[in-house]
Amino acid sequence: MANKDKNRHISTSTALDDEQRVKVLSPGMLVAKRFFRNRLAVAGIIILISMFLFSFVGGLLTPYDETQVFKFYDIIEKDYAGAAVNTEFQYYEAEGETFPAVAKAQLILAINNGEDSFVSKDVNYSLINEGKDFYRIVQYQEVARIVTKKGISKLTPAEGETFTSEMESLYLKAVEEGQDTFEYDGTVYHILQNGSTTVIAKAKEISIVSKMMFSAYSQDTVIDYNFRYAAEKAMNTGESRFEVNGSEYEMDLDVEDNSAVFYLLKDGQKIEYALASNMSINAVDKDFLSIEFKAAVLNAIDNGDTSFVFPDKDGTEVEYRLVRKNNQYTIRKYTETELINVYESPSKKHLLGTDGNGMDILTRLMYGGRISLMIGFLVVIIELIIGVILGGVAGYFGGWVDNLIMRFVDIIYCIPSLPLYIIIGSVMDFLRIDPKIRIFILMIILGLLGWPSIARMVRGQILSLREQEFMTATEALGISVRRRIFKHLVPNVIPQLTVIATMDLGSIILTEATLSFFGLGVKFPYASWGNIINAVNNIYVMTNYWFVWIPAGLLILITVLGFNFVGDGLRDAFDPKMKR
Amino acid sequence: MEDKNKVNQVSEDSQSDYILEVRDLKKYFPIKTNVFAKQKGEVKAVDGVSFKIKRGTTMGLVGESGCGKSTVGRTILRLIEKTDGEVLFNGKDIFDINKKDLRKLRTDMQIIFQDPYSSLSPRLPIGEIIGEAVREHNIVPPEEYEDYIDDIMAACGLQPYHKDRYPHEFSGGQRQRICIARALAVNPQFIVCDEPVSALDVSIQAQIINLLSDLQKSRNLTYLFISHDLSVVEHISDTVGVMYLGNLVEYGKKEDIFRNPAHPYTQALLSAVPVPDPDVKMNRIILEGSIPSPANPPSGCKFHTRCSKCMECCRTQVPEVKEIEEGHFVQCHLYND
Repeated sequence: MANKDKNRHISTSTALDDEQRVKVLSPGMLVAKRFFRNRLAVAGIIILISMFLFSFVGGLLTPYDETQVFKFYDIIEKDYAGAAVNTEFQYYEAEGETFPAVAKAQLILAINNGEDSFVSKDVNYSLINEGKDFYRIVQYQEVARIVTKKGISKLTPAEGETFTSEMESLYLKAVEEGQDTFEYDGTVYHILQNGSTTVIAKAKEISIVSKMMFSAYSQDTVIDYNFRYAAEKAMNTGESRFEVNGSEYEMDLDVEDNSAVFYLLKDGQKIEYALASNMSINAVDKDFLSIEFKAAVLNAIDNGDTSFVFPDKDGTEVEYRLVRKNNQYTIRKYTETELINVYESPSKKHLLGTDGNGMDILTRLMYGGRISLMIGFLVVIIELIIGVILGGVAGYFGGWVDNLIMRFVDIIYCIPSLPLYIIIGSVMDFLRIDPKIRIFILMIILGLLGWPSIARMVRGQILSLREQEFMTATEALGISVRRRIFKHLVPNVIPQLTVIATMDLGSIILTEATLSFFGLGVKFPYASWGNIINAVNNIYVMTNYWFVWIPAGLLILITVLGFNFVGDGLRDAFDPKMKR
Repeated sequence: MEDKNKVNQVSEDSQSDYILEVRDLKKYFPIKTNVFAKQKGEVKAVDGVSFKIKRGTTMGLVGESGCGKSTVGRTILRLIEKTDGEVLFNGKDIFDINKKDLRKLRTDMQIIFQDPYSSLSPRLPIGEIIGEAVREHNIVPPEEYEDYIDDIMAACGLQPYHKDRYPHEFSGGQRQRICIARALAVNPQFIVCDEPVSALDVSIQAQIINLLSDLQKSRNLTYLFISHDLSVVEHISDTVGVMYLGNLVEYGKKEDIFRNPAHPYTQALLSAVPVPDPDVKMNRIILEGSIPSPANPPSGCKFHTRCSKCMECCRTQVPEVKEIEEGHFVQCHLYND
């Protein structure tokens, strides 16, 4: 096109000809050329590109997740079970009966006072001492009352009860034999002498009260009331054989430590049935402790051993350690446990180690970089949109519009930003705002507070450009306002905008890091370089685990440095006074 | 283009010989220190200026710096609003029409600025600078656009390949040519040349002056040529106006003004023109002091503070404009009866 009949219109003498200069550079290309001659600027660009690759591509390449917690298995000594001497009364309620808590308190009072009956909530309970620390609680129901007056006895059955003559004869027989009970039709009747009145009553078993702990050999065995009563009675009387519920049992009593093993006699065989002891042994977890294990524990406690060996399910011998604390024994054993891999030093698996949450630091740095850079860019975009529009309007229209907008800018400048961030941060903490939404709120706030400097710059530029003669020329040519703004004004502000935006990016990343460091910005589980460095608020971490915070600090330093280098380079490249 | 010329000729026949008539034009700039303060006063940049320009001629407007020459030029184009008076362009008052019609009218009146550096947008290539308004106003059909721009550029001594270059790649003279091409591209009838050669060196000045003269002849243009350089004005003008402190103190045909200057100020100006001959003894009239502030102009004749022929009446009475010979107007008490 350049050579297309160039001499068509004018003679060569009038042509200001410098056609030999073929290379035509647009102002943008000139800036680029000058920019790339600046070594620091190129270094900055390389830094920034590598930061972007690190954050955005690195996050895709890393095998780990942002919030992946690394764990490992280790064998450590853990509490397995506890044993304690039982000093409290235990209550074994008869089937279908309840012994309320209030009555339990009355019972303790009665035992301490040596009384054999007590009243609780209009219910008359009788206390029958069956042995040492072994009571039976019975509730009597009156069947008949015999009042003897002047040698004449008069029998009156209780309301709703019948007292047959047969029963009467049995009663008389019992009185004769000096017994205080008689049995009729499978029910035991008690003869209670109370002065001149004799009361014949049915007894209702309520509960057994003792300090013995019973445990069955087999998980399926349910130790019922009758067995418990018979067994404890046997322990007190020393009878080695007794019969309950149609089965015969044999007892092996250990008087010294007040424990006993009961065997069920079936077809001439002795089957281990239950263990009674005043020690209570419970597993820390919901494990079922076998009676053999309990016996082993009791044995060890008796012998005063500090450790014992007991085979586990597979028959392997496991050593248990017995730790005594007053009347409490703790049984500990070495168990394989899952542990979080905290503060692991750099290794092949974790190039920069793991942090206090057992997460891979390198991976978190990548994701943190994403958030830091994203916040930087989005905030700058918000600032640019608001700043350019308001600054442009103020500069182009001038007058009271300019005055209004610039006073608004002054007001925004007056807002103390750090206290505001702290307040907003704590408000967000209080409202338990989702960490993801928090990031966006943070961006908006940073953007809303950051635009005034851009607005001022744009306004100043447009104000001075507006008075330039080329703007007067566009008016004289009748160019539309829209074209005048976007074709003539805006392109002339772009250089300053680019510089200020680049410089701003660095400072916003710093601000974000500061806020996250103080716990006001990006929150766990999201990573940001700032909240990774936050680990140093523990002095032990700071001095011992350099790999946790040094890399994040370096990344912030390098990135901000990169942005500043690029910003400086752009400013120099845009400066027309700089020689090419 | 031929159509347009035809239109021009038609309008020439139907309208008066005068393309522009300025009647008692006034432009006062308010003085304010800040928005809340009261207006302290006003700068009377243009204080009652009247003149007429014939179609196809050049009027030179001379005066010291700050006397209001450029303000007159810009007010005529309605680049700044007037305070009072009338500007009739082809018989229509340009301050009477609305903004939409004004935009259409813009193509008929153009301006060339003094500083060729600040008058070109640094971020646009030359082709865009020249052609922008052509497309904006649909001066030519889109298919003829490229050739049209080439023609205009060629007419101004620019090569077609300059189109892709940016202003910073040109010298001052070339830039001024670009400015002229930009003004010519919308095919105007009237151009205000606001000191177009003051920023250029003498050899380039000659080129630009000659270019303007050539274009005037070929396109029947009318110029208002604002300058402080009397020799340039003498070379290019048909009529000349001399301004002092917002007033047109003398106005007439070039020959009348330069041969027979009537106003003491014009006489002083002309005596200061350097003559390139060391043997010629100059009889200069030295003006004492500097131009007074237009915000607080002297009473009576504004020139009386520096005038060598100052009389008593000059201090109190504003002199009237007198026609001392045909087409030669002077505002001075010397010519009052």
